[in-house]
Amino acid sequence: MSTQVFSVSEVKQLLEQGAQLVDVLSEAEFEHDHLPGAINIPLKQLDASTAARLDRDRPVIVYCNDFG
Amino acid sequence: MIDYKPGKQAWYEDNEPREGKAVDEIWIGDVAGSDVPTCSPTETIGDIRRRTGGWDTCVVVDSKGVVLGLLRKKELDADPKATAEQVMRPGPKTFRPNVTLEELLKSMRDHEIQTNSLVTTAEGRLLGVISRADAEATLAHEQAAETRTDS
Repeated sequence: MSTQVFSVSEVKQLLEQGAQLVDVLSEAEFEHDHLPGAINIPLKQLDASTAARLDRDRPVIVYCNDFG
Repeated sequence: MIDYKPGKQAWYEDNEPREGKAVDEIWIGDVAGSDVPTCSPTETIGDIRRRTGGWDTCVVVDSKGVVLGLLRKKELDADPKATAEQVMRPGPKTFRPNVTLEELLKSMRDHEIQTNSLVTTAEGRLLGVISRADAEATLAHEQAAETRTDS
């Protein structure tokens, strides 16, 4: 699987084109705040079954808190 | 898969919207006033003063809106022939838009800041300013509204 790094404006453009947004932070962090339209799949729960929620035909953007 | 490596903090620091419980918090990007006067570094103090009227603050920005410096009353009262760049306070303290109003007020109180605080993106692009008085008033209003809701 290839991984690319994108900027804020590129992410916005991809979302407008139908990309899916996945927040891999904990449920509590997700409940407090997340990017509009994101779904939550905490990193520790990320596997084939949880990823099955995603549409395989659309790009998937994953994010966590920051570069750290 | 696309790794949005800068993460949600970079998104919020660009003043982009949020969802979740944090929508009920006041972030300073939500309330910063964007009507503060700006000028280029080459504009003269005389021209700036004529243009900005009653304001005691003018933010010096580059062509992309990135903050270079600040003119307060003292600098705006300087030689009218001087340029903004010559008299400005370079590299003023700035705050990101995803700082909560409470955090900003704490910083203003701790550092005894009574004047306008600048709100910028992580790249330094000016989003607006918030005065100590406005910050205090907005928070007091919000806390009064919460008290009414709780009772």
